[in-house]
Parts: sequence; C-alpha cells; structure tokens
Amino acid sequence: MDNNRAKKGKEILIMKRRDFIKLSGVAVVGVCFNGCDIGPIGKEKATWGFLLADVKKCQGCLSCMLACSLAHEGAQNLSLSRIQILQNSFGKFPDDITLVQCRQCVEPACVSVCPTGALQPDPDFGNVTTVDVSKCIGCKRCVNACPYTPGRTIWNVIDNHSQKCDLCANTPYWDQTGGPEGKKACVEVCPMGALTFTLVIPDQESIDSYNVNLRDLEWYKLGFPIF
Amino acid sequence: MDGYTGSILRVNLTTRSTTIIDTDDYKAWGGGHGMGSAIFFDLVTDKTIDGFDPDNVVTIMTSPLSGTLTPGCSSRTEVQGIGVQSYPKEWFTRSNFGGRFSAMLKFAGWDGIVIEGASDVPVWLDIRDDTVEIRNCTDLSLWGTDTRVCQETLWEYVTGTDDLVDWYTANSENGARSTQLPAVLAIGQAGENLSRIAALIHDAGNASGQGGFGAVWGSKKLKAISVAGTGSIGVSDPSTLINARIEQKEYACDVSDVLETYTSVHQQSAPGRMVIWELVPFFKQTGGKRPQACMGCHSGCRRRYESGLGNEASCSSTAFYMGVKKNEYQYRATDLLNQFGINALEAHYMLEYLRALDKEGALGPGKDIDCPLNFSDYGSWEFVEQFLKMIAYRNDGLGNDHAFGNSLAEGIVRAAGEWGRLEDDLATGFLPYPYWGYPIHYDPRAQLEWGYGTILGDRDINEHCFYNIYRCSSSQYYGGQKKLSPEEVADIVMDKMVPFQDDRAMLDYSSENMYSEHMAKLVAWQRYYTRFWKQSALFCDNRWPDFVNPNAPDMIGSTGTAEPTFYNAVTGGILTFQDGIELGRKIWNLDQAIWCLQGRHRDMVQFSEYIYSVPFTTLDKKWLGKENGQWNFLNVSGRTVDRDKFEEFKTLYYQLEGWDIETGYPTRSTLETLGLKDVADELELQGKLGMAS
Repeated sequence: MDNNRAKKGKEILIMKRRDFIKLSGVAVVGVCFNGCDIGPIGKEKATWGFLLADVKKCQGCLSCMLACSLAHEGAQNLSLSRIQILQNSFGKFPDDITLVQCRQCVEPACVSVCPTGALQPDPDFGNVTTVDVSKCIGCKRCVNACPYTPGRTIWNVIDNHSQKCDLCANTPYWDQTGGPEGKKACVEVCPMGALTFTLVIPDQESIDSYNVNLRDLEWYKLGFPIF
Repeated sequence: MDGYTGSILRVNLTTRSTTIIDTDDYKAWGGGHGMGSAIFFDLVTDKTIDGFDPDNVVTIMTSPLSGTLTPGCSSRTEVQGIGVQSYPKEWFTRSNFGGRFSAMLKFAGWDGIVIEGASDVPVWLDIRDDTVEIRNCTDLSLWGTDTRVCQETLWEYVTGTDDLVDWYTANSENGARSTQLPAVLAIGQAGENLSRIAALIHDAGNASGQGGFGAVWGSKKLKAISVAGTGSIGVSDPSTLINARIEQKEYACDVSDVLETYTSVHQQSAPGRMVIWELVPFFKQTGGKRPQACMGCHSGCRRRYESGLGNEASCSSTAFYMGVKKNEYQYRATDLLNQFGINALEAHYMLEYLRALDKEGALGPGKDIDCPLNFSDYGSWEFVEQFLKMIAYRNDGLGNDHAFGNSLAEGIVRAAGEWGRLEDDLATGFLPYPYWGYPIHYDPRAQLEWGYGTILGDRDINEHCFYNIYRCSSSQYYGGQKKLSPEEVADIVMDKMVPFQDDRAMLDYSSENMYSEHMAKLVAWQRYYTRFWKQSALFCDNRWPDFVNPNAPDMIGSTGTAEPTFYNAVTGGILTFQDGIELGRKIWNLDQAIWCLQGRHRDMVQFSEYIYSVPFTTLDKKWLGKENGQWNFLNVSGRTVDRDKFEEFKTLYYQLEGWDIETGYPTRSTLETLGLKDVADELELQGKLGMAS
C-alpha cells in the first residue's frame, strides 16, 4: 500500500473510554463527534463503545453480515449475523436500505428480561452485553424483548441459543482481538467506510442517533452527494 | 471440502418431479461452468438437439466461493445449456449474472439447479431451504408479468408482506428467520414469447443476457425460480478468509483517499463506475444516489437512485438509448429493457442497425422492409417503448399483429436474413456482427484475444482480462504521478500468465505477431483462466484478473496469489493458481468436445466477411505491441484479418491444444491426458474423435 495513503487514513481515533472521560470531563453534553451531535456520557455500566453507521454510504454488499457470521460462527450465514441489512433492489435511495446494528442499549431490555442472567455486561470487554450460552434456556424472551425492528437479539436455530452483537469480544473463528477496544469484523471489512465506532453514548431516546454522516470530500469525488 | 452444500437440485418439468445430484460426483470440476458442462455432457445424450427441444438441459450453478466473503466473487451465477441466440448454429453456451442469487441458493443448501424437460403449463419454482415446490403460475397470475412485477409478487408471497421491515420465518420446519428478500430469477414477456434475445433477470439489473436463455425458459414454461435460504456455508479457514478479504481492500478503491485515476480511466475499480450515463456529464442522474454491489463485493460497480430509475443497471444497458430527448427516458428505457427481459447489447446494435436502414430509406410502409416505427420520433419515450414492446410481444409494439416485431424477436441477424440483407450487410460491416451472430463488442481486427477467443468458442466472450491495457494509451491510463512504461505493463501481465510466462511475446498485438504461436498462447491462457477462475470459481469479470493495479505496491495486482488464497481458505484444498489454469484447460476441452458433437468443424470457425476485407478504424485506442523491437502502445488502425494467415493461426492454435488440425476435433491422447476418457469414447462413437497429427 502507498504509505502516504496509510497516513492519510481517516479512521476515527479510538480512545479508551477512561482516557476520553479524563480529557473531556465526566459529563460532556452536546459533543460534536465526526459531524454528529451525540448525547451525554454517563452510565458507568454502559458499554464502552457503540457501532455507528452511515446508511447512505452503504453499498448493500452485506459483507458486514458475512464477516459477522464468519468470525462468530465459523460459517457464512446471513440469518446468524448480528448486524442486518434489509434492502429492496427497486427501492428509492436512501429508503432502499435499512441497516440495523445492536444499539448496545444503556438499559438493555434483553438483559432485564433474561430469567437466568445469561445476558450480562462483560467487564473484560468494556461491559459489552454478551450471552452466556450455558445459561440460555431457550425461552427467547430476550429475542422478543428487543424494542427495535427488526430485533437485534437473534435466535440461533443451529445451536439453539440466543445471541447478540458483542462488538467481536468473542470471535472464536477470527484471530484478531475484538471488543470495544479491539477490531470489529464488520467495521474492518466494510469497503465503503460506512461503519465506525464511538465511545460516546448516542442519544438513547432517538431512533436515528446511531446513523451518522461519514461522507466526506473523497466521497464527493466519487460522484456521490455528501448531504 | 468446505464451500459446498453437497447437493444439486435436479428438476424435471415434464414429470414435475425433483431429485438430488450428489455434488461429490462433480466436485472435481470445481464449480460453476466446469460442473455445468460435465452435467450437461452426462444428461444430454443427443447433443444435436436445438435449444427449444424439451431435452435441452439448463444448469444454474454456484461455486464453492458463492456466499462467502471472497471479494468480487461471492454472487456470480453461471447459466449453461444450448442457447438459441447464436447463428447459424445454436451452440451449447453460457452466461452469468451477479446479484445475490447464487449466495442465496447456497444458503438454501444447493450447489446448483439442473432444469430438464418442459412443463405443459406455466410454472415457477419455490425453494425455501430444502423444501422445493413446483407451483403453477395461475395462482399468482405470474405469466404475462414483467420481471419486476413477478419478483415483487413472489417476494410478497414468500415473506407474507409487501414491505419487509422485519424478520420473517423462511423455514417453517426449524423456524429459521431471515431479513432477506428471496432471490428471484425470472423471465419477462420477451422470454415468454420465445424471443431469441431474451434474458434471465434477477433483482433490478442483473441479467443473464447472452444465449437467449430467457427464451429457453419460456419454451419450458418456467417463469421464475425463487430462493430463500437460511442455512450455513462451511468455510475451512475462516480467519484466513476474513484477513485475506481485509487485505484485498488495499487493492481496491480506497474511498477515503480517492486517486485521480478513479474518476477518469480506472473506472472499473471505483464504486458505481459501470454506469455509463454517470460518465457523461449531460446524462448523469441528479439527486441522491449510492454505489450498489453484488453480495460480498468489495467494489460495487452499479448505483441506486433517489429517483428509483435505473437502479442496479450497468454497462451496455445504461447506454442503449443515449439519443434521448430527455435523460429520464434513458433511465426508464433501461428499466423497461430489464422488465421485459431483453439482451441490452443486442437491443443497442439492433436499434442502431434499424436507424441506419431508415437513413438508407429501406424501412417503412410500402418500402423494402415494412416497419411500423416512426424514426422521426427517435429519442422520445414513445419510440423506445414501442421498439422494446415489438421485441417482447412479437407485434407492432402497439398491440397489433405485425411481422416486423416477429422478426426483431428472432434477433437482428435472423431478421436481416428474412429481409434478404444478411450476406451483403455482413460483408460490408453495415451489420457489425463479426462472430456467431453476436454484435461487435471489441474488434477482432484489433483486440485479438477477444475476437479469436470468441470465434474459437460459442459467443461474444465478454471477458475483459486484457481490456484495461488496451482501452487507452499509457499516458491516459497510467495518468497522475505514477506511470508505467509499455514494457513494465507487459512484464507485470506476462509474469502472471503461468504456464506460458516464459513466452515474452504473448502480448505483442502488432500485425507481425497477430497470427503467431505467441498469440495462440495468449488466447489459450485466457480461455483457461476464464473457464476456471472466472466461470467456475466465479470470480467476477469486472474485477478479475487483477493484473496492473494503481492501488497496489509497484502497481502489481494480486492475481496469481489472491485467487487460490481465497479458494483454499474456503475449501480447505491446496489448489495452486496453475492448477486452476490446468483445470480450465480441461473444461475448455470438454466444451470443445460438446461443440464438436453438436456439429462444430474447423471450417465453420470463420469471422463475418467484413473482418477480412474492411479495415479497422479507431480514434484513440492503442494496443500493446512491439515496434522496432521495443514495447510500445500501437495504433492498429487500417488493419484487417488476413484470411489465409488466420487459417495458419488456427492450425497453430489446434496444435497447441492437441486437437486435430484438419477438423478441430480433440484427440484421444489429449482428452485422456486430461482425464476425459469417457469424452473421447463418446466422440469416437459419434465419429468426431480427432486424429493426432
């Protein structure tokens, strides 16, 4: 790769959350992060980071879905992907694509309804909620409790347990370290740079706060509108 | 081996029954085309039948890489069978298309579909994982619909909603859910009415165009195949596959740092750059738009629009009606082309030929050819709508019987034959159809490997392996700060062309070299590379091979290492790049054997007359070649193909292949060396086995 290109990379700098808090104070309101208004940080048990997406930059290749199932399940399976893209070939931009990722809710309904405590924040991986499949009894309450459509907690019909996005904290089929501070397969694979990651808690009240504008001048050079 | 589901669905439309072929029986062929040819060879006992014969078998094959993260590869589907478009003979042929069909078929648990027989009533195939139903079209009023209405109807039928925003249960047995619309492959009215230029269409803009397979389906009364899959595809080494895929981003357009070449001549690797109207300022769509990719692709080449017009269209379909009076007409015409299911390149050249005939005064009521089109309206919406309806419905395009539409539906070569113009117009090039009744794509007088490869095969090869080298001169192509000399370009490419890499004259397109054994090796290498890596492993023609690449270190692309890396990561095999080339040679030989069983003879391998007699002209294209002993980009304007020297070339080529130089028939020794003893036996039985020279 051209070294200059590597230096010019516009990846969002990922800082450890504690460093971010040290720099910006415990309560930061209305931070403008990569062109997006983000809500306040707080909630000590919240996940240390969140996936954000620019649906207008998505090319609908589903590579993120393929990477997700491959890293987690060791096989290609769109139905087992923890990130989902719905699209209609005949649809009108931007409504032709719906991209949904787990919001890593600050107060996750999937956790609160689990009767066995199978879904819990994992302190080793930045408090991201994970599923302890040995505790999963198959009641599917977590699958049904997700308030978003389509639901982000999914049922694995092959191994009979629920599962959700763990920010690649546990990817037995990928040799990279994941989790909030590590690599996320979907982000790494996306050829359009339509996925990114933030330490800042998105507005939990807004349905759109996880959808951001990642389009820049380079995108415009390719002939696509920025706004 | 991983990557395969283990089952190929065999559908007999005559008996309305389905059975399973064990993939293991054909795994040695890799996938895609290799498997399709082998299955066709085994199932079609009489290869001399025509394409509309119910005994014609159509194979729809995936690859072990389909549905995986392999970039520019994951969702091509290979279609084969006896086509109905080629002229004068309906050759066993192929076509492939992108989108998501092959991936979905794999998720449903099938490595391919084999269609045989013919139904007496219109039917469609409903595949939901391992549940397969042959359903009548009447229940959903599918017959008579265009490809969009057909697909949307089936989406609603399978998912239970006309606006999928949530999970739906796609497998009623295990409760598996999906958010993905079923992948549907359908024919439009052109296929139903047996137009020889009818395509199979998937989603908005994926077309299996060449060969007229839309009409073959129409003759079988097969309207559509719908696939919903929820299962898994095994991958041998997931971590290597993911990491290799991420590494491939270095070889693709970096959307965070766009090189100048992306916006000019290196268009094919940049997002959304296969849409021709986007390359012409006047024709660009305004408003919101996004790049759009086939499943798993790292370099989506099409677009979707705020207008919803022209979604997913690419290449010739986006330039087939550029003389429009309003830009929107081109976008809508493209959509109508796909909705009727008509071959785009054929429609373009057909229309240009008709316009030329009109200028000559040959068309119109009471004239030589009775044509209901009013050419003073060319450029209007009404004109193009009528034109396309004539092909789709075999009438005057306005709902009335008319012989002209009936002629157009046969394809313009057969139509010209009906009008008594074919021989003369092929002799002058007035009808620019140089090979097997297919329109000019790249000229045999200049882009030699394209022309030779086509006439030695069955159809316009549509393989752009070497196209990017020749489309522009060095200063244009390698613009910006980095440039490669012609010699550096030649070295990068030829270094990758195993096992012929030591022949350093293969890319010499000069007139002195155009009939040589060096050129024969170039043609052969492309036949082998494409037969395996592109058409069996199903690496996309738009992205592969990766020869010279301005993104890559020293501009050396990843071909040679990338293909087997992905193949082996998925399958767990140890295939080398050269192994793939050799397997491609085996597949190419099987295809040649099938053509010989159909009636192919060396004497038939001839271009149209104008290729031998009318000089090639070009404005700016230059071809790699040697001039005074030095590599350069040469302008080959004024060149023709010398008939006698082309015969000498054919002899050299047949010798290289180990085929009979008198007939072109493969010899027993050649076939047995490739493990094709059964093919040699069949050729001998039919009196088509070649004699060793």
